[in-house]
Amino acid sequence: MAETTTEGLAFAGLQFIEEGDAITFAIDASVYPLAAVYGASFTFIDRAYVFLSERDGGFAATLRHKKAPEGDVEAALQALAGEFANELLACAYREKLTEANRATLEAITMQAIGGAMGPPSLDELEDFDFSDEPFEDPLGIAMSWEEKYGKKEEKGTDG
Amino acid sequence: MAERSLHFSKSIYAGKQVDAAINVYAPYAEIERAEEPGAWVVKIVASSEGRAKKLEGELANYALGLTIRARKAVES
Repeated sequence: MAETTTEGLAFAGLQFIEEGDAITFAIDASVYPLAAVYGASFTFIDRAYVFLSERDGGFAATLRHKKAPEGDVEAALQALAGEFANELLACAYREKLTEANRATLEAITMQAIGGAMGPPSLDELEDFDFSDEPFEDPLGIAMSWEEKYGKKEEKGTDG
Repeated sequence: MAERSLHFSKSIYAGKQVDAAINVYAPYAEIERAEEPGAWVVKIVASSEGRAKKLEGELANYALGLTIRARKAVES
């Protein structure tokens, strides 16, 4: 929930102040990691000028419309601020989810790779039955094209 | 002539990408680069205040975009 402070509007871990035609966010780095700040900024660089800096152990993001908004400039800036705050929150949450699932993803990937590439253990080799008969192939499916249709060498020649 | 300067924090922007952004916008203004302990400082001198402000924003966006893209490439 937003609350009004002497510096402007404040969200959890996030404050912004209007500075002329720009708006500057003070971002708490413990709530919003740099990757989230990058992610949110990247989605805005097509319509706003975004500049990031360090501030009080966290970050500051300054946004300015590329094209001067029509109508109420202050309302347009506040709308931009709200959208940026939403995007920042979404990016931070996505980052947390990725971080939380990283171990699971790595474990699954390692199992898949290990299963595909790992050599059999000695016990497994010991249990393997090498005396199996070669499988029957009455339709010649396992035969190569040359074996099946290639020219047969003539057996026995005259003279 | 109008002058503006940007302080790119070293912990946020990659120096190589800031340089790349400077090279892209160098034909449009006089751009000087300098280094401070925690930041790369870019000074833009253009023919008018509006032009300097626009170049400042475009250069900053370009450097940020390249930095994010480079970071993603390293992560993946």
